[in-house]
Formats: sequence, structure tokens, C-alpha cells
Amino acid sequence: MRVTLFDYGAGNLHSLIKALATAPGADVRVQEDPLRALDTDVLVLPGVGAFGAAAARLAPGREAMREALDAGLPCLGICLGMQLLFEESDEGAGQGLGYFPGRVTRLAARHVPQIGWNDVEEDRALQAARLSTVYYAHSFVCRAVDAREVVGWTTHEGDRFPASVRRGNVLGVQFHPEKSSHAGVRFVQAFLQEVSS
Amino acid sequence: MLRRRIIVCLDVKGGRVVKGVQFEGLRDVGDPVELARRYEEAGADEVTFLDISASAEERQTLWDLVQRTAERLFIPLTVGGGVRTVDDVGRALRAGADKVSINSAAVATPELLTGCAERFGAQCVVASIDAKREADRYRVYTHGGRRPTDWDAVAWAKECVRRGAGEVLLTSIDRDGARTGYDLELTRAVAEAVDVPVIASGGAGRAEHVRDALTLGAADAALVAGILHDGLTTVGALKSLLNDSGIAIRSTT
Repeated sequence: MRVTLFDYGAGNLHSLIKALATAPGADVRVQEDPLRALDTDVLVLPGVGAFGAAAARLAPGREAMREALDAGLPCLGICLGMQLLFEESDEGAGQGLGYFPGRVTRLAARHVPQIGWNDVEEDRALQAARLSTVYYAHSFVCRAVDAREVVGWTTHEGDRFPASVRRGNVLGVQFHPEKSSHAGVRFVQAFLQEVSS
Repeated sequence: MLRRRIIVCLDVKGGRVVKGVQFEGLRDVGDPVELARRYEEAGADEVTFLDISASAEERQTLWDLVQRTAERLFIPLTVGGGVRTVDDVGRALRAGADKVSINSAAVATPELLTGCAERFGAQCVVASIDAKREADRYRVYTHGGRRPTDWDAVAWAKECVRRGAGEVLLTSIDRDGARTGYDLELTRAVAEAVDVPVIASGGAGRAEHVRDALTLGAADAALVAGILHDGLTTVGALKSLLNDSGIAIRSTT
């Protein structure tokens, strides 16, 4: 199974690559070209950087990537990668993939960024891995228009927002599974297993 | 609810841990990768490498060390020490750091914080502040606590956040290594003044000190080093006390 990370900027991809590589049969690659990244069995949008810069790197391949997702290409979007699955962001200019209807806005809390371990409530993202406490590091959150697409919630101070969204084999998570110790690594493995079977 | 964190700090030099670390009765001065992993197993919420390398040759090994650690550590890793430019931060992140702490360079060039936040996001920019008590204030020092600045700690923390820092690592020079407890007054003053997480550092002598930093000091996280490395307590024992005290922490048991 080819698992391709679309690398759209500077940031730590090592932990995520290693977490993905622990899944049986996963052949993990990194691709900087958004069009070439689509020649894969599973696409991963990693979670580092700022929305504007990432959207600019995505732009040449945006339509093709959206079509691939609509056609059933499994995709895991993490943190900023989840936000790129939505339409637009208050953090920066440019368009996301718009796979999930909704806008990315700033956390409505006193303490921003949210950095640290917090809950996933009502987690139903995957069948084989249940999460409780995971690591978040973000200032912006995805305001999903369709609540049925939200498969996990979390709350920071007074703001309740999607921890995870899913439609078909496209899953976005606001937290960092690759930084959430054993449970997070199991979550990544379970996603690959679920979309490849 | 967002949990309070225990962050374990390891001093590294030339790619090796330089202070001894007591683990299961063994004293290990050695591989930071293995020690970081063992602290993850023990329940640490994050690991910080403080690079105390004195020379460029020694520092070169840091990036390789960070990469080897990131490939095996599945909790956040912060790297600090000797970071001077936006490119240094970029290199640390590409090597595998999740966050980078900046100290003397931020005082010398405050725009560095802004440059890093714009390029990499505020969540990976940690302003590291060393402060020393004076009569009625706390003065910021740089260069490992040797060089005084004109900044007051609370004012400088606010300035760091205004310029883009997403977290503040606050070390009391007076308490560092003294094991008499964190400087609660300093910690609380900064934690109440800024809207980003504050990590208390310097002074932990026993578990109650960590609890006090998170309650009376209002810190979001506590940096712990010596008392863990010397085997005086464990991450598990710290977390038990915090849990029994009604503080929300990540349970790893």
C-alpha cells in the first residue's frame, strides 16, 4: 500500500512517517508536488505550517486533489491538513480543498494557541481504535457546516469544535495522532487498515 | 478539558546527555533518544532537549540527534539552546523538533519571534525567559543567566507573545537547581499577564512543588529535570499526586 505525504512546507514529518510506517504493508513516501502526490493508494496531509502558505503550495493541484478525494482516494488530514480539507481560513488567503463544507476560524478562547493534551468526545472516527486524550497544538479550528460529518468533538475553554470529521474514506483530525503516544500510533495504523481493506 | 503537563528536560551536549539519569536503579549518561523514549513510557507529556554545546562542532550533532529521536518518540519534542535565526528554527523543525525555544536571540532580535511565527506558526515558537528576583521586580537575563538585560520579566513575556511566541518557558534563576520549589510569585505574575501557556521551570525538589506551580503558580505545565534524573521521584509519582490533588492530567496508567 503506497502512503504518500504531501509535504507543503517546513516542519517535522519524521514522527508521522514513522507512525505510518508501523502499519503492516505501508510503503511511505514524501512528495512535494501536489499532482504527483495523487499517484498513491492513501494520501496524507500533514499538520505543520500556516494555512496561506500551504494553500499556495496546494493551488496547482487543488482541483485534481479534490476530484481524487471525490472519486474515493483515502485521505488523512492532520491539524492544518484537516483545515485544508475545508473551504477557507481566517488564518490566511487561498482556498482549501472544500471537501468538507465550512470555514476555518480562530479558537474562541482566552488561551490561544491550545497546546497540550485534551479529550476526544463521542469519538466514532474509526471502528478499531478509540481515543480519549490526545495532543493538540493549534490556534484555528474547523467549523463544519454538516454536523453529521463530525465524528469526534473537543472543547477548549468555552469553545466546542470538531476534533475529527469524516466522510467516506476521508478523515480529518485536529489533533496530532503522531504526537499522542501509543494510542495515536494505533489510531494511524487503524486508519490505514480500515481504508485498505 | 486541557490537561496540565509534565515536561521532562534533558541537557545534551555533543549529541549526548551530559547529566546522569537514574532509571530503574541504573545511572545512564548516554543516549538522549533512549532516555526520551523511556520518559515517554513513564508517562511524560513532552520532552525538551536543552542543547548546552559550547562549540559549532558539538552543535552539528544536535540535528542528527533530533531526527533519531523524532523517529522513535511519539510525544512532542522541544529543542532549545543556541537557536539564533529563522533558518536555525527551520532546520530544527525539519530535523524533527515540534517546537523550538528561543532565549538570548529573542532579546537581541525580537523580530526573530515574529519571523518564526509567520513562517512556522506560533504553536512551535517557545519564548524561553530566564528571570532573577530583584527588590520589587524580576529582571530578565540572557546567556545562561550571566548577562542582565533592561527587561522586566512580565513586560518581556508580554512582548514575546505580542511578537508571536505561542508558549513561554519561564525559568527562575534563583531557584534553578535549588530544589526549594518553583518561584510561584514569578510564575503567577507571568501566567496572569499572557494568554499563551506558561511552563514553570527551576526549583522542583519534590512532587508538591510541581503541584504548587500548577495551582498557586497558575502554570499550564511544569518542566522537571534533576529530581527525575536523580531518581528522587518518578513521572508516575508526580502524576499520582497531581491527580489526587484534583488537577486534570493525562492519565497514562
